[in-house]
Amino acid sequence: MTGERGQGSDGFCLDEGTFRLGCQLLVQHSRTLDDGWSWEEVQGSEEGFLKKTVLAVGRTGDPPAQGGSSWLGDDADTLRPEEDQVLQDKDVEEADGDEEHADSEKASVIRYEYHVLYSCSYQAPVLYFRASTLDGRSLSLEEMWDNVHPNYRTRLLQGPWDTITQQEHPLIGQPFFVLHPCRTQEFMTPVLSAARAENRSVNYIVSWLSLVGPVPTPLVSLQTGLRGHGVTYTWTAKRTMSETARYLLESRD
Amino acid sequence: MADDKDVLRDVWFGRIPTCFTLYQDEITEREAEPFYLLLPRVSYLTLVTDKVKKHFHKVMRQDDVEEMWFEYEGTPLKWHYPIGVLFDLHASNTALPWSITVHFKDFPERDLLHCPSNSVIEAHFMSCIKEADALKHKGQVVNEMQKKDHKQLWMGLQNDKFDQFWAMNRKLMEYPTEEGGFRYIPFRIYQTMSDRPFIQKLFRPVSPDGHAHTLGDLLKEMFPAAIPQDDEQKKYQVIIHGIEPMLETPIQWLSEHLSHPDNFLHISIIPAPSD
Repeated sequence: MTGERGQGSDGFCLDEGTFRLGCQLLVQHSRTLDDGWSWEEVQGSEEGFLKKTVLAVGRTGDPPAQGGSSWLGDDADTLRPEEDQVLQDKDVEEADGDEEHADSEKASVIRYEYHVLYSCSYQAPVLYFRASTLDGRSLSLEEMWDNVHPNYRTRLLQGPWDTITQQEHPLIGQPFFVLHPCRTQEFMTPVLSAARAENRSVNYIVSWLSLVGPVPTPLVSLQTGLRGHGVTYTWTAKRTMSETARYLLESRD
Repeated sequence: MADDKDVLRDVWFGRIPTCFTLYQDEITEREAEPFYLLLPRVSYLTLVTDKVKKHFHKVMRQDDVEEMWFEYEGTPLKWHYPIGVLFDLHASNTALPWSITVHFKDFPERDLLHCPSNSVIEAHFMSCIKEADALKHKGQVVNEMQKKDHKQLWMGLQNDKFDQFWAMNRKLMEYPTEEGGFRYIPFRIYQTMSDRPFIQKLFRPVSPDGHAHTLGDLLKEMFPAAIPQDDEQKKYQVIIHGIEPMLETPIQWLSEHLSHPDNFLHISIIPAPSD
């Protein structure tokens, strides 16, 4: 496994070559697990992005009057702590029976798309995502959050995920939701410096995904179970940033 | 130089005469007259078209009105690009006024970002400024500013106050004299010939041996086809704020003087007219 540590005194930057290498290794490993990550080339250039598409059952509301980007604030989620323990990771591909919402007449199959791009401005990876119904209607961010369990939603609002906006995908020109990358270095530094201190190699992309994974994903989690990378990551909406960081730091091969 | 300061004013006060026409299939109760407006080049469509919206709402039933969006000759117009960029890219070399079609139905989800309020424009604008400063100064200048300073930049743009905006924006334009320019130049090169909306990479204003990079140097690296060969006819026009700057112009000077308020240098490359 190729280890990667950002160079330079001012933090842990990711250069484009290292980004691509990290993605390649992740895709290779992902192929053996058949968990769906692939590399998309942009025609006529050497650039590209990491991509994963997931189908899951979820609720969709009526088409929103306005697709806003403000999902923050309102719902004082009633926490139901007992459920916290009950939720488990499930394989998304098998998630055709999400019991909790199965009785809803609006339950339908939702297509989630996740793209990981390199931002040269921030020298960091950036997560782009969107969701749509199978007949092509885009989900608003509110609808996406509706499919995240309330317990998780509350916790996620404490993380670095309060900076989600709709933006243009810089390589294909379509609207996506984006987790703003300006704080990436801030939350990657503890992970990478710990690895560096222990002379342990880490795939930046894998570590980073485990931190940003818990964005609006379906209730059934995006389990990816990439093992043998020095970390194990599982895309669930379970962990807050610090919990995940601790988890990462504790995990070893 | 005093002359250079005038350039900032000329850029800021650039206007495009525009005629807004309601899409023919929109349902109205009375005939919808076209609406004329001088659009500021450096602003955003959704920020300066409240009057357009009101004008057409008057002849429509509330039920027939959804989010407003704009189209020019079949192309949905991206509100998150500065108005001048949209014009240069899609409508250069056409007769004025610029004729924009207004829609209130069938929002093109796959093409356009939603714009439910001015705060969305503000967030977009500030995010551009932050990204530009990440390139220019590793984000240090914008991060040292206070919230009210950010607000001053936004209010300056929103209310078309040149002095208010530039009193703050000049800080974003500073750099150590000995370095001869910013760390990297925040630029975007647009063209309509592919799906890819724009090219944006790292580019330094000064070469390792100390020469000032020019617009031509930038294009040579990012879009070589835009540089005319000696023996052939010009294939492309390279347009910034409606003009074709000389390729010998230092890129640092362009960045300081011809950037949009979002602090990016937006460069449009369009096929040269064939006549």
